[in-house]
Amino acid sequence: MKIFGNKKTPVQVLNIEPSKNISNMATKQVRYEALVKALHGDLYRYAFWLTHEKQVAEDLVQETFLRAWRALDSLKDEKAAKSWLITILRRENARRFERKRLDMSEYEEASIMDTQSTTTEQEIENQWLRDKIAQLPPEYSEPLVLQVLGGYSGEDIADMLNLNKNTVMTRLFRARNQLKDALGKEPKNRRFLHE
Amino acid sequence: MNDNLTSDSDMSKINNPTNKMDDLQYRRSIYANPTSQDVDIIAAQNADPAKKQLAHELYLFNKKLKQALSIPVPDDLYNKLLLRQTLASHQQDKRKSRLHLALAASVAIIAGLIVNYLHFSNSYNNLGDYALAHVYHEQNVFYNDDNNRVSLTSLNKKMTSFNASFSGSLGELISADYCRFDGIKSLHLVFKGLTDTVAVFIVPKDEHLAFTNKFSDNKLQGESLGFKQANIIIVTDKNESLGLWQRNINEKISWSI
Repeated sequence: MKIFGNKKTPVQVLNIEPSKNISNMATKQVRYEALVKALHGDLYRYAFWLTHEKQVAEDLVQETFLRAWRALDSLKDEKAAKSWLITILRRENARRFERKRLDMSEYEEASIMDTQSTTTEQEIENQWLRDKIAQLPPEYSEPLVLQVLGGYSGEDIADMLNLNKNTVMTRLFRARNQLKDALGKEPKNRRFLHE
Repeated sequence: MNDNLTSDSDMSKINNPTNKMDDLQYRRSIYANPTSQDVDIIAAQNADPAKKQLAHELYLFNKKLKQALSIPVPDDLYNKLLLRQTLASHQQDKRKSRLHLALAASVAIIAGLIVNYLHFSNSYNNLGDYALAHVYHEQNVFYNDDNNRVSLTSLNKKMTSFNASFSGSLGELISADYCRFDGIKSLHLVFKGLTDTVAVFIVPKDEHLAFTNKFSDNKLQGESLGFKQANIIIVTDKNESLGLWQRNINEKISWSI
């Protein structure tokens, strides 16, 4: 009977498809691991400065890389990988805000960084600066993080944040200006000023 | 706040046709980008030691910023990310194999239904094949020397459900019973024949069985008479004259509608 002859077709398809995918999957896996290895640190730091919370930042990075894994085939240019991931991360962060708008309206300063028990002067300086950076309005801190950590130019940042370049440069100026002002007001941190 | 009123180096070029940066413009530019290699910035620095000093200061400040921003990354994050992905794609595979299982199950169910369908419903697609099969199936039920007889009256009583009657006897009627003729409620008559029983089926018209005028195999022969209301099928052995039976039926049957 013909009907039973036809049954073979789907079975064959089932057999062929996975084996065809194995090599693709392997390449994808290698690409993904390289991507994670190279960029997870940058992404995590970026996420931290976006969210000011270690655990949230970690979750955000996980969510971002998971999405990246699913959409990895759409990433054609490896050089664009970092900004691609940052774009995904920003979108995920926005989604997080939609989910729990009220949760993040205020953060406690204590939760910004749990102070590590390192007592080196360097660490104290860092900690002090971190607190100040965390107090910047997000529209100032975000371009700053992208510029200083990400190494992006004003144009790149403008592209990523959907702003024009002049706006980005102004915000970068104000970010540094506020931080330096804060430094100036802190007598014990006068040594930062190098004046 | 007016973000757009900015003093990046672009702006300074517009505002300052002499190409010399004033202090404020310089300050704004170097604060916005301490590592700027813009020619105007470099020129301004070279022309003014105070500007150079500010640039150096901002450069050092930027280094501190970078240090502060470079918060420690959790050691296990890399492994967590790989694990998460492995789990996710495993889940995907599981979903896929579940889908495959569902597909296979569907195929099996459909195959089962088809078998069922073929087995229990119209497995014959023409009258002749079915009639032959029916007769073979009952060949041990009726014998030619059976003494049982059915009267014309009781035959005609049964014929009423087909809106037909016989005006006279067709022969010695051994049995007259309703039966399922491939799922169609029909009347099965068994007459005494010359050497073996003669089967006559009165079958209401139905689309799924094609009309076959004459049919036979190595033992039996048959003929269908198509009337407007029903088909009458005669199946006999090879010693019988089908034509005689046919004429006999044609002469004696009458349809009430």
